[in-house]
Amino acid sequence: MIAYDKVWLANLRLQAELKKDKLKGFINDAEFKAIAEKYPVGFYTPGLFARIGLFILTCVVISFGDGLLTLFFAASDLSFTFGWMFFMGLLTYIALEFMVKTKHHYRSGIDDALLFISGLLFAVGFTMLFSHYNNVYYLPVAGAIFIFNLYFSVRFADMFMTAMCCFAFLAFVFFGWTKNISFGMATIPFAMMLVSGVLYSLSYVYNKQKKFADYQNCFIITQVIFLLVLYLAGNYYVVQTLSDEISSRPGGAIPFGAFFWIWTMVLPFVYVGFGIRQKDVILLRTGLLLIVAAVITFRTYYHVLPLDTALTIGGALILGIAYAIMKYLKTPKHGFTYAEPDDTNFMDHLKVESLIVAETFAKAPAAPANDHIRFGGGDSGGGGSSGDF
Amino acid sequence: MDNLYDDLHSEGLISDESFEKIRQKPNLFSVHWEIKTLLYLGVLLLTTGLGILVYENIDTIGHQAILAFIALICTGCFAYCFKTCLPFSTGKVKSPNTAFDYVLLLGCISFLTFVGYLQFEYKVFGTNYGLATLIPMLVLFFVAYYFDHLGILNMAIANLAIWMGVSVTPKQLLLNSDFNSETIISTYLVLGVMLLAGAYATQYFNFKKHFKFSYQHYGVHVTFIALLAGYFHYYDSPLCALWMLVLFATAFFIYRDAVKSNSFYFLLLVILYSYVAVSSLAVRLSLLAGDGVLTLAPIYFMGSAIGLIILLIRLNKKLKAS
Repeated sequence: MIAYDKVWLANLRLQAELKKDKLKGFINDAEFKAIAEKYPVGFYTPGLFARIGLFILTCVVISFGDGLLTLFFAASDLSFTFGWMFFMGLLTYIALEFMVKTKHHYRSGIDDALLFISGLLFAVGFTMLFSHYNNVYYLPVAGAIFIFNLYFSVRFADMFMTAMCCFAFLAFVFFGWTKNISFGMATIPFAMMLVSGVLYSLSYVYNKQKKFADYQNCFIITQVIFLLVLYLAGNYYVVQTLSDEISSRPGGAIPFGAFFWIWTMVLPFVYVGFGIRQKDVILLRTGLLLIVAAVITFRTYYHVLPLDTALTIGGALILGIAYAIMKYLKTPKHGFTYAEPDDTNFMDHLKVESLIVAETFAKAPAAPANDHIRFGGGDSGGGGSSGDF
Repeated sequence: MDNLYDDLHSEGLISDESFEKIRQKPNLFSVHWEIKTLLYLGVLLLTTGLGILVYENIDTIGHQAILAFIALICTGCFAYCFKTCLPFSTGKVKSPNTAFDYVLLLGCISFLTFVGYLQFEYKVFGTNYGLATLIPMLVLFFVAYYFDHLGILNMAIANLAIWMGVSVTPKQLLLNSDFNSETIISTYLVLGVMLLAGAYATQYFNFKKHFKFSYQHYGVHVTFIALLAGYFHYYDSPLCALWMLVLFATAFFIYRDAVKSNSFYFLLLVILYSYVAVSSLAVRLSLLAGDGVLTLAPIYFMGSAIGLIILLIRLNKKLKAS
């Protein structure tokens, strides 16, 4: 099943848990060191930036290697066929197994890149296999990619592969349902709701089970994806767009319109409510994100307020809500706190927040851009991309 | 999870004292990031909305009310910040509470909107556009240092670039920049060198040392991009060798600093930018081989990338060990 050493994976989880305790001061350094020695992890896992660098460089190596190989066989009819794609995908996969099995790479950037490229080559291969003169048969393509990515996900517990696997499966259901069932197009929202709802509950349950501990990150991503799809399947805008595709008179009202409007506006709050009750980060954050989607959907159909007023009132409202929550949680209540969590994440290393602030607010005052663009050294400034006056 | 600690305790890996501490560990659910995101979104929406509102209503009587409202927000925010902030220090100062950072941000942006409006409507700075961007920039730098706010420091740096007539934020840098003019390339180079100098100055004078990252982050990207652009701009003249030389000298300088300050991020940037430079030289050389470039170039890229992978793994080990 999983390619990585299971004992090491378990030890890695244990060390991660205890590292938090060490940071919080529950255990001291000596204790942590003793535990780390008793439960060792032999993986090669460099830091985030090394991982990014190794990922980029491995992609360079593989793409030029594959390119060179293809070049040698360019004269023959062999290259640019699906078989050639499978062949190169297989080569990459062998390299991946080698890096993981003998070199013990685990999320090092190298195994990530090899897995990514291998998956990509197989996906391209399947698309070429199941297409005929630019006519792609989506159903077998989606099915084959799903089965392959499922294998990759089970073997390497990789979040990206799992996400691709989910999308391929959803695409398979979509094309299977709409192409083979009469009234398929009219009932597809309900089919997608059913499928994603069931799969979400399964991932939610499995995520909590000990025997699937190695796949926790996979179940996190499946939960997010199926929650999003569950919402989008019943979102008014999405349903309307889909029904326009088949309807003879686009833009008309859709059947069960009221149901879809309720789904669009209420479901995000249901997510948030359950997220708070279950203390589930995934539900809570997905719900908050989807509230934005609900607002945008609403504004697409009903222009209640002009944009500027809506933004101003919305901003003030959000600040008010945030203030109220902070006031309420001044002392932790019902197991909630707004104090900073103890585990440092990668965002702190890059100071991501400050970079985002600069990106969004650098030219804050939305003034008409001045038309005389003037470049040059310090004395004449202005112009350019600014819009300050 | 309790099982885990019981096991570790019975194995003697956790002392009784620590075990007792862990048992009393409060199990709290933190909504810290959710609150921060809400505050950020609120500030973003409010300031954008107000910004548009002012200019949309510029011909009506209502716009003065809106302007007064913006001024009120601005003074209110700054008054709150001056009242609650912790005393200034040359080291890192913690913000007194979570909301503080966002109140300050709101104050700064409404200030920018206000100044922008004054210039637009009353031409306070006349046609002296340099001054119109210089003053907000100075205010931003002052606020960033006085209240110790990284986000506003980044805004100030972005405004410094705007004042010089260029842009540093990644989106603008990639989409809007055109590197075909000598003035732009040299402006970027001057800006990059200034930022790098600023980065080392913070460390050398031990004045707000934690600001170094922001200066260096923008400095490294801008300098390398300007140097590479310079090289390609003068591709056909012998002057291009000079740009390459300066690039490698800069790379060496930043490399040494990155190793010294144990920062793998800057190490990676130096390696990748230098790799682009070396590769452009290699491609130029292999083009001399005529048709041979089709095999030479892939072999070069494979070999060099494998070499760099080994280098990265070694450097990573070295930094971790120290």
